[in-house]
Amino acid sequence: MRLDEAAVFKWVVIVGIAAALVIAVTLLTRPLVGALLGLAIVIAGCVYAYRWMGQKRH
Amino acid sequence: MESATVSVGHDHADHHHGPPEANQSSRIDRQTLGILLFIVSEVMLFGAFFASYFFLRVVVNPATWPPEPYELPVAVAGMNTAILVSSSFTIHYALESIRRGNRAGLKLGLVATWMLGATFLFIQINEYVHLAFSARDFSFGSIFYSLTGLHGAHVFVGLMLLTFATIRAFRGHFGPKAEDHLGVEVPGIYWHFVDIMWIIVYVTVYIL
Repeated sequence: MRLDEAAVFKWVVIVGIAAALVIAVTLLTRPLVGALLGLAIVIAGCVYAYRWMGQKRH
Repeated sequence: MESATVSVGHDHADHHHGPPEANQSSRIDRQTLGILLFIVSEVMLFGAFFASYFFLRVVVNPATWPPEPYELPVAVAGMNTAILVSSSFTIHYALESIRRGNRAGLKLGLVATWMLGATFLFIQINEYVHLAFSARDFSFGSIFYSLTGLHGAHVFVGLMLLTFATIRAFRGHFGPKAEDHLGVEVPGIYWHFVDIMWIIVYVTVYIL
């Protein structure tokens, strides 16, 4: 992945889809469930970013 | 012949004054690196505001959030979110256009992005006017206006950057080569960041 506008635009789409998922789950269940899902997505994103940086170093 | 060549090379070395040229990575140019470092600092700023928001929400711990009798216009803010997300697509279209040498597409994309951004800001100001609480009403009012106002200020800065980029586009600046349209690429990256932050603000403040 290169660091340019197109790469950042991909992140807009990814964050948008994740937010839509959280909104849908929150409206269908309870805010706490949506918040937990959001937290899980953020943690998964951090793990992905950490692994991606590790691959870049090697 | 050989001595003449050596002499020319020596003269060239003597005429070079000042420090050597700065080393630059071939993977990322200085302008893009600058805006990315700036965005990292901005993420920390927003992180501090989000930390305050969650701290107040947990510490105050009212029966409902927002506290009774206040309500947030979730539907209007949702429409506003759709408008801002659309503007990310139009700025991306503008950049893809100039990469292909399509100047009309660049202008169209920039003008559309500017208008969508201005509409977002107008609707947010209108929302502030019609809300039943002010920044002085409870900690909720303070953090709500702080968080959304901080983001609104970033939208305003982004609109200024887009204004300059649009004026330059109509004056015939920018070209298909990467180094010839950095004046659109850098505001584009900033605009995407503002968009991502609003999605997070909307989900956190209006939905959860």
